[in-house]
Amino acid sequence: MRIASAKESYATDEALFDSAVQRAWFAVLLLALALFPFTVNQYWAYLACLAAINVISATGLNILTGYTGLVSLGQAAFMGVGAYTVAVLEARLGTPFLLNLLLGGCMAAAVGMVFGIPSLRVKGLYLAISTIAASFILHFVFANWTSVTKGVSGINVPPARLFGIDLDTPFKLYWVIVPLAVLMLLGAANLFRTRVGRAFIAVRDRDISAEVLGIPLLRTKLTSFALSSFYAGVAGGLWAYFFRVVTPESFPLLMSIFFLAAIIVGGMGTILGGILGAVFMTLVPELLKLGVGVVSPFWPEAAVVLSPVRTVVFGALIVGFLVFEPQGLTEMWRRTRRFFHLWPFKT
Amino acid sequence: MLRLSRRGLGALALAAGMAAAVPAKAADDIVLGGSIPMTGVFAFAGIGIQAGISDYLKIVNDAGGVKGRKVRFAFEDTAYKVDASVAVFNKIVAQDKPNLYYGDSTAFSKTINPELERSGQMIMAGASFATELNDPKKYPLQFMAGPDYTEMFGILLRYIAKEKPGAKVAFVNSDTEFGRDPIATSEKKAVELGLKVVEKIVTPPGSVDVSTEVLKLRRSAPDYTIFHGYVMAPIPEFIAQAKQMGMTSKFMGTFWSMDNSMVQKMGELADGFMGVMPYRYYYDEDGNAPMLAKIRQMRPEYQSTPYMQGFLTAMLMVEAAKRTLDKGEPLTGKTLKAALNSIKDFDTGGIIGVPISVPGNSIPVGRIYKADVQKKLMVPASDWIKLEQ
Repeated sequence: MRIASAKESYATDEALFDSAVQRAWFAVLLLALALFPFTVNQYWAYLACLAAINVISATGLNILTGYTGLVSLGQAAFMGVGAYTVAVLEARLGTPFLLNLLLGGCMAAAVGMVFGIPSLRVKGLYLAISTIAASFILHFVFANWTSVTKGVSGINVPPARLFGIDLDTPFKLYWVIVPLAVLMLLGAANLFRTRVGRAFIAVRDRDISAEVLGIPLLRTKLTSFALSSFYAGVAGGLWAYFFRVVTPESFPLLMSIFFLAAIIVGGMGTILGGILGAVFMTLVPELLKLGVGVVSPFWPEAAVVLSPVRTVVFGALIVGFLVFEPQGLTEMWRRTRRFFHLWPFKT
Repeated sequence: MLRLSRRGLGALALAAGMAAAVPAKAADDIVLGGSIPMTGVFAFAGIGIQAGISDYLKIVNDAGGVKGRKVRFAFEDTAYKVDASVAVFNKIVAQDKPNLYYGDSTAFSKTINPELERSGQMIMAGASFATELNDPKKYPLQFMAGPDYTEMFGILLRYIAKEKPGAKVAFVNSDTEFGRDPIATSEKKAVELGLKVVEKIVTPPGSVDVSTEVLKLRRSAPDYTIFHGYVMAPIPEFIAQAKQMGMTSKFMGTFWSMDNSMVQKMGELADGFMGVMPYRYYYDEDGNAPMLAKIRQMRPEYQSTPYMQGFLTAMLMVEAAKRTLDKGEPLTGKTLKAALNSIKDFDTGGIIGVPISVPGNSIPVGRIYKADVQKKLMVPASDWIKLEQ
């Protein structure tokens, strides 16, 4: 049983990990992530990469919606900007892979800032509706700016190359996507130890008070949009290298709703929430399929009959979490941790 | 200490029994993998496709398989999402090592193509008839069990040019990759055939209110209006409003809007609705069609046109595997595709009414069918039309 961790300075109070045990567990996690691809087949490596891409984008949205309180339904469109930037750079200019990702992120950040301007006037649902515009306008641009985007048929992306190796399988891409995800998550976690990050939280909690405290609303809100879209852009760029084709239909509005659902299910305003939510939303439909796979040898029609049931179960799970755990998966995780901290006593 | 209740023990025993009873997968099975949309917007097609493929493989396996090897169908639901389709592909490739694969969308076919070429282990066909995929240089390991969308338009235009030389034609398509696919190329084709393309209308996907578009259509007064890129809506709305305005244009569709049960849902509006269909309908008893008779015997109720598409795709894939094994070659993407391309004047058992060849990635054959509202059936309006490649 652990009673508490005594904090003797502001530095320890701000630290990402407050005990040696936590640091040890984090090291174990990193080790597990490093060993993971060697122990699984192509399918699980693929899912791990997809989940990591979604984690990056969900974390971006979490910065904007969870920490700054600005609801956005444009995340998928900003991912599209990143993906198209990367696709055009890679296919036309052949610039290095990591530079493309960086530029993809920057381009998405710039576009995100433009679509963030209405946030100065409108909030909540109204802002959500105005960010839907991003989705439609950018979709129109992707589909009709044919000289750059090749219109509806989209752009085929050559595989990413790093140190002369073609990253053309999920196993190889894992070594880029997952470390990048870890880096970006650490970046996001550290952001909220800085003045900028705290300004976001102040704006979320009460924007007028924040302004009174000397936080420039214009700059803060647009910075939040830019950072969030940067994450989306990098995720979109990775998406482009992962799926190797980018079309206007790759980033529908539904995908933005997916990310919003992910951070709500995971827990808004916590880094862990973005991770858990994105992993949950990506993997649970696949795990439910495993259930179908188990019974199908005995019942060949299982996939036909159970497929619709599976989607209902997934929907019910989301509703169930929202009803019984409105704080999201993060809260369940905290409760589990508390249980072990206090064991053998009850919370 | 871990204590097991009697019920727990029972459950464990049951689980163990189930694990032991799993039918063994023979190592030399030929596997046809599939990313099939059993849920989502394309589920109506996926369910038919799955049944069609399963039925054909059952026929093959009941007759002893391919050179004594069974053909197994390993598929999973994709909900018609590209990322889910790729996940299914990776899973089935890792578990079952398929040599044949069925994909669910154009986007998936394009996405998976680099991986298909890299692994070189299989050939793939699917639910997409995209013109872009009909290029053996760019997509050397893929094919489609029918004409591509441009060829479907070609068949329709050929029919129109014969019925009414110099006719005025309008194209109505959805603003999607699927919808835009054949428009630009078909416009040229129409001019070559001496037809006039008087109007091209693009509607947003899923649009319901089409009154302004119908007005535009009336102004151009076409003799024929071809819809593409829709499954059903907004075709009925278009036809209803056009008929109210006294338009005399004939309305036509392409493969995905031509299933009999869908067309008949339009009721009276369907009267005279025409379109191109590469396969015979389930109920078609004309001519020599032993496969259709067999299908009717296996499934007494109506089977959709996606069923026929799945059935024929499986037939062509199995034929390619058979020819490859007959030559004593291993099953790889290259050998299978070469065997597929060697198919010449092949009898499909009546699924397609004429012998077919697969010289490239498509089978440019089709027939015009017309809705008969009294009989509630699509009936042939032309003979089989073969496009030269």
